[in-house]
Amino acid sequence: MAESGTIEPITGKYVHVDIGGVDHRIYFEENGPKDGIPLLCQHTAGNNCQEWRHLLTDEDITEDFRVIAHDLPYHGKSVPPTSQSWWEEDYKMTGEQFTETLVALADALELEDPIYMGSSMGGNITLELADWYPDRFQALIGLECGAYSPGFYIDWLDHPHVNTTEVNAYSCWGLMAPQSPEQTRRETMYLYEQGATGVFKGDLYYYSVDHDYRDKLDQVNADECPLYIVNGEYDYLTTPEDGEETAKGVGDGAIAIEMAQIGHFPMSEHPELFNAYLKEILSDITGDREGDLPSVLKPEDVGIELHPPAPAREKSAK
Amino acid sequence: MNDTEFASHEWWEHYKETVNGDPEMQVRGHDKFSDNFYVQIDDERFLIQMQDGTVRDILPNPALNNRWSFGVEGDREAWEEFIQETPPAFNHEIIASHYRSAVRNEDGHLMMRGDNKKIFQNLRPFQRALDLMRVANNNGGS
Repeated sequence: MAESGTIEPITGKYVHVDIGGVDHRIYFEENGPKDGIPLLCQHTAGNNCQEWRHLLTDEDITEDFRVIAHDLPYHGKSVPPTSQSWWEEDYKMTGEQFTETLVALADALELEDPIYMGSSMGGNITLELADWYPDRFQALIGLECGAYSPGFYIDWLDHPHVNTTEVNAYSCWGLMAPQSPEQTRRETMYLYEQGATGVFKGDLYYYSVDHDYRDKLDQVNADECPLYIVNGEYDYLTTPEDGEETAKGVGDGAIAIEMAQIGHFPMSEHPELFNAYLKEILSDITGDREGDLPSVLKPEDVGIELHPPAPAREKSAK
Repeated sequence: MNDTEFASHEWWEHYKETVNGDPEMQVRGHDKFSDNFYVQIDDERFLIQMQDGTVRDILPNPALNNRWSFGVEGDREAWEEFIQETPPAFNHEIIASHYRSAVRNEDGHLMMRGDNKKIFQNLRPFQRALDLMRVANNNGGS
C-alpha cells in the first residue's frame, strides 16, 4: 500500500486527433522518458486506459519505454465528437475505424517507431495493423489475439430489460484466471462497469463479427513488422491454441506465446505476473534478450510466486 | 475440504448455508433474485429455489409441480472440475464453460439452458450462486 501523499508519476492529457475528417478529443495517460521507446497500449472492448495503470507505474519498464495508454473515442474520458449527432445511431466499431483511429493517434502524438500492444479487441487488431499499416509500427504485441473470435456479439449486453452495467462486467468474469488476485479481478470488473451504454456491445461487433482473418492470414505482414501473439491459459475466447494456429497461419515474423495461469485481461487481472511476462517479450523486441522466447511463459520462469487462494471460511454451525 | 460427498443431501445443506451467509449475495439489489434454477449432474437434477436472493429450498428430482427459469447441465466430471479450489481453464466459471460448449462445440463443459433473458437479468447473483458451489465444496475461496 502506498504511503499517504504518494503521487504517482502518471500524467493525463488530451490530444485532438483527426479521424476521417472528424475532430476527436482523445484522453491518454503516459509515463516514461520523452525519448523512450513509445509503447502504445490499447484497452479491451468497452473498457478504458485505467486497465494499464500498473504498467504505467512499473519502474523497470518506464525506465526505457514511454508507456502511453489512451481511451478510444466513446470510452473513458474520450467523450464522443462534438460535431456529430452520435446519439442518433448505435455505436459500432469496425476494423477500418479501429486501425484508422490508432494510426491517427500515433501520428497526432508524433510517435516514432512505436510498439503497439493491445488485449482482446486490441489484440485482434494487430492482424489488421500488420496487414494494412506494417510500416507504421516497430512491433505489434497482440494479447489474447485470434484470427476469429465469434459468439460474443450478444444482444443482452445492450438491452433495456437488463442491468447492462453489471452484465457487461460479469459476462467477462470467467475470462480471468482464478489464480489472479481477487482485488485486481474485482477492479477489472469495476472498470467494466464504467462503460457507456452500448459501447461494449458495439466494440464486440468488431471483435466477434467484423474481424475474421481465417482466410486472410497470408496477407498479414509480420515479416515486415514483428507480431507477438500472446494468449493467457484461461482465455476461453482466444485460447493459446488459437494463438498458435494464428501465428502459424501468418508465418514469418509471427511468434505465439502462451502465458500460463492468467486470462484475457492480463494487464489488469494480475499486473505483477503480466508485467514480468511482458519484460521477456520487450527484451526480445529490443534485441536485449539472449535466446528465443519460450513457447510457454510460466510464473516460476519470471520469478513470480502466485498469491495464496482466498482465505478459508469457517463452516457455519449446524 | 467439505467432508461430505458432492451433491449429497448434506452437501446441498452446506451449500445453502454458504449462499445464505454470503455477504455479496446481499448487496447491489440481489435480494430481487427470485428465479429458480436447476443444477443437473449427469441425469440427476436438483432444483435450487431462490427467494429474494436466498436459497429457500433445494429439491432433488423436480417434476411437473415445480417451475424454474433456467439451469445448468453437465456431466459429473465437468462439475467436479468446476468445484475444485483452483479449477482448470474453461470449467472455472459458467460463461466460460458455456462458451466452449455452445460456440466451440466442445464436450466436457457445463452448459446453460432455459430463458436467456432471465439468465442475463439475474446474471451476477446466478453466477455468484454457482461460484459459491466452489466455496462450499472447499470451505473457502471466492
